Amino acid sequence: MSLTASIDYSHDVEDVALAALLKLSRGVAVIGHDDRLLLKNPGFDALFGAGLTGPAVLSMIGLRARPAEDSGPFQVLLDDGRTASVEVARVPQGWLITAEDVSAALVERERAAGEARVDILTGLGNRLMFQEAMNAALDGKDTRFAVLMLDLDRFKAVNDGLGHPVGDALLVKIAQRLRGALSPDDVAARLGGDEFGVIQVGQSQPQAAAALAERLVDLLGRAYIVDGHLINIGASVGVALAPEDGGSYAEIVRSADLALYRAKQGGRSTFRFFESAMDEQMQARRRLEIDLRRALALREFTLFYQPQFNLASRKVTGFEALLRWRSESRGMVPPAEFIPLAEEIGLISPIGEWVIRTACREAAGWADNLSVAVNVSAVQFRSRTLLSTIVSALAESGLAPNRLELEITESVLLEDLGAATSLLNSVREMGVRVSMDDFGTGYSSLSYLRSFPFDKIKIDQSFVRAGDQDPGAAAIVRAIAALGQSLGMTVTAEGVETDDQFANVLAVGCTDVQGYAISRPMPADQIAAFLTSSPRDA
Amino acid sequence: MTVDNAAEAKLYRLVYYSRNRVAQETEATAAEIDDILAASRRNNARVGVTGALIFNSGVFAQVLEGALPDIEATFERIQRDQRHGDVEVLQFEPTATRAFPTWSMGFIGRSQKGKHLFGHVTEATGFEAKRLEGERIFDIMRAIAIDEERAPAA
Ligand SMILES: Cc1cc2nc3c(=O)[nH]c(=O)nc-3n(C[C@H](O)[C@H](O)[C@H](O)COP(=O)(O)O)c2cc1C
Repeated sequence: MSLTASIDYSHDVEDVALAALLKLSRGVAVIGHDDRLLLKNPGFDALFGAGLTGPAVLSMIGLRARPAEDSGPFQVLLDDGRTASVEVARVPQGWLITAEDVSAALVERERAAGEARVDILTGLGNRLMFQEAMNAALDGKDTRFAVLMLDLDRFKAVNDGLGHPVGDALLVKIAQRLRGALSPDDVAARLGGDEFGVIQVGQSQPQAAAALAERLVDLLGRAYIVDGHLINIGASVGVALAPEDGGSYAEIVRSADLALYRAKQGGRSTFRFFESAMDEQMQARRRLEIDLRRALALREFTLFYQPQFNLASRKVTGFEALLRWRSESRGMVPPAEFIPLAEEIGLISPIGEWVIRTACREAAGWADNLSVAVNVSAVQFRSRTLLSTIVSALAESGLAPNRLELEITESVLLEDLGAATSLLNSVREMGVRVSMDDFGTGYSSLSYLRSFPFDKIKIDQSFVRAGDQDPGAAAIVRAIAALGQSLGMTVTAEGVETDDQFANVLAVGCTDVQGYAISRPMPADQIAAFLTSSPRDA
Repeated sequence: MTVDNAAEAKLYRLVYYSRNRVAQETEATAAEIDDILAASRRNNARVGVTGALIFNSGVFAQVLEGALPDIEATFERIQRDQRHGDVEVLQFEPTATRAFPTWSMGFIGRSQKGKHLFGHVTEATGFEAKRLEGERIFDIMRAIAIDEERAPAA
């Protein structure tokens, strides 16, 4: 039957159509080829709000561009929390959008699914089902079973980059692959956005769990095609065994989650079994985190200063500021123990800011020819407040900008070279100096040296130390020194401890040294006394 | 089987290579490949997917052509297959025409040309390198296919 065949031409068809459209509870709108809104009914306004433009409607329903083909029905989450089911169809004038409020139906479906212990999207079990199944296993005859916790790597990027409908379709495929890899008696559930759980029963453990975990990492990590997109994600798996890794649902899940956390830390796309040591390490980490979060407020941080010595003038030119944590409960905590954690939990920016301000303030009290060097991490570089922190630290302290030196490692340049060099250029325009720290380790790329005119290269201490016995290391020190010389940069040898090393780095052409041969790092209040004792004059 | 290109809305081509995971001896490999080809021809003919498969020194390479939903479904089945692994997609894009219109899944095994197909496999990393590698494998497979179609069955 064609549509026109059913029209009664004794009425004005357009009037009838318009009257029907206005009464229709379903929202209807037509967007023209030029993105203008040609028509909409009150039902549409009731859903999306009145006064919207065509492009606003398109972006509201999540279409970045006008679709080439009919699409839908798909769900759109409205700003007020309601959910609309939307369809888009091509019409000669442009695109016909129809929509209806499906919130109530969804709530009902979710309630029913919750009762049915089903995850609506994937058809796997939900968290409640997972818990009940595990409790049943714990109460059953065979209390030996394995629990696998799975988490997808890079899933968020898919959702953000390709949109939720693609993310959802991907989850469906993942669930199918997961289900297909299990035995009929195994239980699989979706526990959260991109988190899944498996209970493996009736097999000899831990071999069966190891085999399954390995298979899942491989299988779920293989490329997907969804909606014309080629998608690469990974899966990490944590495994806990009952009864040894926990006697209750909560304990077993916690153990498996810990193992999962370790799997993700271990480079992702891998699996780990729970080990009791993980628990202890995790608790130790948590205690350290609590103490570290309090350390700033309790003023437990302090700066030590290590002199930097110029070989030509035989004079101290400045000091590198080194962070120390004197914890009330722990005593002195070495930076290697707390800096990585501070970076991970986002504390490095406030701590780094404190370092810059304190170093500038303390250095402002020194003689005018002495500079202070501050280490700046890649995380701080990303935070974007670095520049304003430097500006205000200099202003508050009154320290001349050319007496402040930033020490950065290659990792700062590695992530986003363009952003990093533009920030470095702004810093340089203020008169602040910049040095390349730890050179010789990592990539030691010459192109990084070219990407920004550093004032100074600091040769990593491992080369200086090895230079005694290892001719290769000595050759590297010599090469870097020559390179620095020809680029007009200061070249500092770090970690110079003995008289031999001192003589060596002098002989190969380093311009400056730093290390125990000059002095250990010292608290700020010992600097004056140190300077009057005129080091290394002989 | 012939498929009319013009009748299809969105034609896609996918090229990948992967590593054989099971058979070591030639005899078992031959049985495995027979099995894969039988399933491929049966399933692909039904949905209008065409292409070619090559096996050489432990590595599969395959070209799949067809409508997007069919490519998607076929590839998903292939991805779940435990007989191979390390699947590396080299090319996945819309195409105007099919390069293997008459083969539901041709197998390229006899030709000498295929011998050095995978010389670059381990070197191909990065997006651009993969794309070029995909084009290279695709070109070689098509050249062999044309040769084999001309030659009377051995
Ligand atoms: C390298 C390789 C290529 C394959 N190519 C195809 C293919 O083109 N089409 C197909 O249906 N199955 C293909 N398979 C087989 C599928 O993985 C799967 O075993 C098969 O589709 C199952 O079909 P059946 O359920 O009809 O037995 C391939 C397998 C391998 C290892």
